[in-house]
Amino acid sequence: MASHRARVRVAWSLVAALALAVAGCGTGSGGGGSSGAIQIWEGYTGAEAKAFAHLLTKYQHEHGVQVTSLYVNNDNTLQKVLTAVRGGSPPDIAYLYGSWAPNVAQIPQVVTLTKAVQKPGVNWDDFWVGERDVATVNGRVIGIPALVDNLAVVYNKTLFARAGLPDPSPDWSWAQFQSDAKKLTSPAIKQFGTAYVTPGTEDTVWHWEALLWEAGGHLLTPDNKRAAFDSKAGLASLNTLKTMAVTDKSMYLDPTDSAYANLFNSGHIGMLVTGPWDLSAFPNVHYGVQVMPSYPGTGGGHQTISGPDNWVIFNNGSSRVAQAQKFLLWLTAPAQVRYFSLRTGDLPIRRSVADSAGFDQQMDTALPDVSAFINNLNNVRQARPQIPQYPKISTILGTMIVSVLLGKSQPQAALTSAAQQVNQALGG
Amino acid sequence: MVRARPRFRLPFSPWHLVLVPATIVLLFPFVWLVLTSLETSGEALHFPPLLTPHVLKLSNYPAAWHSAPFGRFFINSTVVAVTTVLSNLVLCSLAGYAFARLRFLGRGLLFATIMATLMVPFQVTMIPQFIITKWLGVNVLAGVGINHIGALILPNAATAFGVFFLRQFFRTLPLEYEESARVDGASRLRVLWRIVLPLSAPALATLAALTFLDSWNSFLWPLIAVDSTNQMTLPLGLATFQGAHSTEWPLLMAGNVMSLTPMLVIFFVAQRYFVRSVAATGLAGT
Amino acid sequence: MAAVRAPAPPRARASSRTRVTPRARAAEQFTGWGFVTPGVAIILLFGAVPIIWSAIMSFQRNNLLSAHTPFVGLRNYRQLVHDPVVASAIGHTLTYTALFVPGTMLVGLLLAVAMNRKIRFISVYRTAAYATMAISTISEALVFIWLFDPSYGIVNYALHLVGIPQQQFLNSPSEALFVIVIMTIWGWTGFAVVIYLAALQGVPPGLIEAAAIDGAGPWRTFRRVTLPLLSPASLFLAVWLTINALQLFDEVYLSTQGGPLHATTVLVYYLYYQAFQNFDFGYASAIAYFLFVVIIVITAIQFRVGRRFTYYRS
Repeated sequence: MASHRARVRVAWSLVAALALAVAGCGTGSGGGGSSGAIQIWEGYTGAEAKAFAHLLTKYQHEHGVQVTSLYVNNDNTLQKVLTAVRGGSPPDIAYLYGSWAPNVAQIPQVVTLTKAVQKPGVNWDDFWVGERDVATVNGRVIGIPALVDNLAVVYNKTLFARAGLPDPSPDWSWAQFQSDAKKLTSPAIKQFGTAYVTPGTEDTVWHWEALLWEAGGHLLTPDNKRAAFDSKAGLASLNTLKTMAVTDKSMYLDPTDSAYANLFNSGHIGMLVTGPWDLSAFPNVHYGVQVMPSYPGTGGGHQTISGPDNWVIFNNGSSRVAQAQKFLLWLTAPAQVRYFSLRTGDLPIRRSVADSAGFDQQMDTALPDVSAFINNLNNVRQARPQIPQYPKISTILGTMIVSVLLGKSQPQAALTSAAQQVNQALGG
Repeated sequence: MVRARPRFRLPFSPWHLVLVPATIVLLFPFVWLVLTSLETSGEALHFPPLLTPHVLKLSNYPAAWHSAPFGRFFINSTVVAVTTVLSNLVLCSLAGYAFARLRFLGRGLLFATIMATLMVPFQVTMIPQFIITKWLGVNVLAGVGINHIGALILPNAATAFGVFFLRQFFRTLPLEYEESARVDGASRLRVLWRIVLPLSAPALATLAALTFLDSWNSFLWPLIAVDSTNQMTLPLGLATFQGAHSTEWPLLMAGNVMSLTPMLVIFFVAQRYFVRSVAATGLAGT
Repeated sequence: MAAVRAPAPPRARASSRTRVTPRARAAEQFTGWGFVTPGVAIILLFGAVPIIWSAIMSFQRNNLLSAHTPFVGLRNYRQLVHDPVVASAIGHTLTYTALFVPGTMLVGLLLAVAMNRKIRFISVYRTAAYATMAISTISEALVFIWLFDPSYGIVNYALHLVGIPQQQFLNSPSEALFVIVIMTIWGWTGFAVVIYLAALQGVPPGLIEAAAIDGAGPWRTFRRVTLPLLSPASLFLAVWLTINALQLFDEVYLSTQGGPLHATTVLVYYLYYQAFQNFDFGYASAIAYFLFVVIIVITAIQFRVGRRFTYYRS
C-alpha cells in the first residue's frame, strides 16, 4: 500500500512545504514598520469596519501617513495587548474597553494624554462627561474616547398594541414597567414581558446599576472605600427585578447572553433594557425606544448608565507616539465623528455633533429611533467607580443579582452579604 | 463459517438502523450551520432559529469570501496545516518509536516530561511562548518569529500528543516483525521505515487527520502571534465577522462552511486508510 | 476459548532475549537519543520552558501590567488554599471529568464498532463522526444553547412529550454542568471514534472468526477478544480525554461564563478570570500549577492502573 516511492514523495513534500513556509514569511512585516506608519488594533465589523477603513484611506490621502489596522475581537484584545506588552511589542493604538481603564493605566507603556487633550482645537469638554470620566484615571488621561453608549428601553410596538397597552411614556416608573411586563407575558404563546442576562458578569451588573441609580442609590461611598448599595435604593432595585423574575415570571433569563436579542427580534419579548448597538439586530420588529423608568420620589430621575470605550496609545518611540496622537485627534474630530456616526448608527462621541442641526433626523433615517439614545446621553449623571478592584466587585454583585433572579436568595440577605464581601475586597 | 440464519432479513444491513439516527444527532448542528449560511441577516436573527429560509441566499458565500482576503487566509492555513502534519508525522514517528522500542538512559523521565507539557493550560504559557517566539525570530531565523507563518508552525511541529499517540500504537504491534528484520541486520531506522510505518498506516492517517484538524482550527496562538492581516489564518479571518456587539451570522456561517469543507473532503477521502486489511501489507498468515 | 492460532510470523520465534553486546547497547542509546531529539527539542522548548517560566510567576505578585513583579513566596498558594471558589471549582472540574471521560469513551466505542464495516454509506457515517470535531466551538455552543433553552429548546419539548416538567438547564446551578457534559461529549465523540477505529484495525479477523467457530456469541467475543485488544487505545483515550477534561475552558467561556452562580466555574475558567479580568496573573499561575499537580497525579494513577489491564501483543 504505502510504497517506498510514495514515502519518498512524502519526504520531499515536507521539504518543499517547509521551503514554501519560510519563503512565504518574507511578506509578513511587523506591525507598523518604517516610513512613519502606525498600527491600530480594533474590533470593527460590518458597517463599522467599512466606515473605519474609509477613514484610514482618507487620512493617508490627507496626511501621507499610513495607518494599518488589525482586526482583533474586542473581547480578546486584552489578552493580545497584555501578551504583546510583556513581549515588548505593543501596538501603537488599541481599542480597549472602558471598564479596563483603571488597570490599563498601570501599564508603563501607556501614554499620558493629559496635556495633549488640553491643546487648542481639541475641545476636550466637547466629549460627553461619561467618556471623559472613563478616559481619566486618578486625574491622568490615558485614552481618547472611541465609543459611547447608554441603556434605554426598546419595546415592541406591535406587542404593546396587541395587549392593549399604551406605549411607554417619558415619565414612566418601574411600577409601570413591571405591570406592562406582566401584561405582556403569556406562557401559552411563550411570550415574555422582558428579559435579563444572567451570566453573572459585568453585563448582568451594569443593567442593575442603572436601576440602583434611578432609585437614588450609589454603588460605593464617594471615597470608594465602602459599599453603599446596601440601602433602600438597593433593596428597591433588587425587589423590582425579583418581582419580575420570580413572582410574575415575566422576565426571560438568558444565562448565555446570546438569545435575548434574537428572541426580541422574533417577537417573543415585549421590552428590553439595552443599548443602541442592538438596534440593527431588530430588523423584523416595529420597535420604539423610551428612556429608563424612574422611581418617583427618590431623585434618581430617569438617569441611565453609559459604557464608553477608549483608544489607548502605547509608547513605541516618540515619533510613533506623536503620529498616533495626531491620528487619534483627527479621528475624533467633529468631521470624522459625524461621518462615522452617520455611516454606522453609533452614537456620536462629541456633543457638538449630536447637537448639530438635522443630525438626529439623519441618524434616524439610517437607524430608526437611535436619536432617542443620543438624547438619552443627557441622562448620564455618574459613572461606575474607576478603581482597579472593580472587576472583583463586579463578580460579587453579579452573583448577588443572579441569586436573587433565580430565587435562591432574598434581596435583603443578598445585599447584606454582597456588601460584606465588597467591603472586604476594598479594605483588604 | 457457520452463522445462524436470521428468520427475518432486512434488505439492508441492520447496522444502518443504528448509524442513521447516530448520524442525525452528529450532523444536526451542521444542518443548522448550513441553513444559517443561506439565510438573510434578518432571518438569521431569530430565536428559536429559523430552519426554513425563504430563499437560499447563495450570495452569502461570495460576499463572505470578498469581505476579507480569504484566499490569503486559506493559503496561510493550508501551508501551516500541511507543514505541521508532515513535520509531526516524521518527528513523532521517530520519537514515538524510540519511546516504544528503544532502551536509552532517561527514557522514562523524558517521556514523563513531555507528557507534563500537556498539563498546563495555554492561557498561562502563551506569554512565555510569545517571548520565546519573538526571541527566535530576532536571533535565529526571521521566518519563525512573531507575525510570520513559521511562528504558527514551529511550536506545533512536534506535539506531545503525537508522540504519546504513536508510542501507544507502536507498542501494540507484535515484536516479531521488527525482531526478524533486526536479526537480518536491518538498522533501527530501516526497521521503522520499512516495517513499522507501513504497518501503522491507520495510526499515521489518524494522527495526520487529527493534527490537521487541530492546526486548521487553532485560534488563540495565531491571535497572539499574528500582527498583520495578510498573515492571518482562517479562524482569525472568520473572527472578523464576529464583533463584540454584533455578528454577521449568515456570513460567518458561510465562512465556517467554506473552512470546514476542505477538512471534510480530506477526511472523506482519507478515511479508507483508517481501515486496512492485514492481507494488503503482505504480512498476514492464515 | 480453545487455543487460537495467531497469524504466523515470517520466521519461527527466536529466543526472546538474544545476547545484547555492550556495543549494541551503546548503539541503542545513541539511536534512541538521536530519534527523540528533534521532536523532543521542539516540545521542550515551547512546552517545558513556558511551564518553568509560569512556575516562577506563581511565586510573584504579578498583574501583567506593571513591570514591578516582587517575589512573594507562597502567598498565592496560601490564597488558593483559602479560596472557596477554588474548592468548588475543583469539585466541578472533577465531576465534569468523571462524567465526560467514560461517556465519550462509551459512545465512541459503540459508534466505532458500528462503523468498522463495509456497508453502503459507511464513508458518510465516518465523516459525520469526524465532522463533530471540525465544527467551531462557537457554532457548537450556539446550537446546544438553543437545544437546551428552557422555553424554546427542543430538549424540553421532547421531555414535555413524555410528561417531564420544564427543566431550567443552563439557568439551573444544578443542571448547567450536565448540559456542558453533553455538549462536549458530542464534540469529542468523533475523536473517540477515530481512535477506536484505528485500534480496531489491529484486531485480527482470524481471531474473531476462530472465536465464532468455537461457539462464542458476538457479545462474548467482544468482551473476551476485542476489548482486551482495544485496551491500549482505551488507556490512551482515558488519559488524553482526562487531561483535556481537567482543562475545560472554551465551552464554558462561550456559553455560561462560569455561571449560573459559579456552577460551571471550572479551574481553567477561574484562572482565566483571575488573569484577564482580575489582573492577578501570579494567582492565576498558582492555580495553573495546582491543576498541573492534580493532572500529573491522576495521569500517573491511570498509567499504573492501566498497566494491569492493558494487553499489548508484544
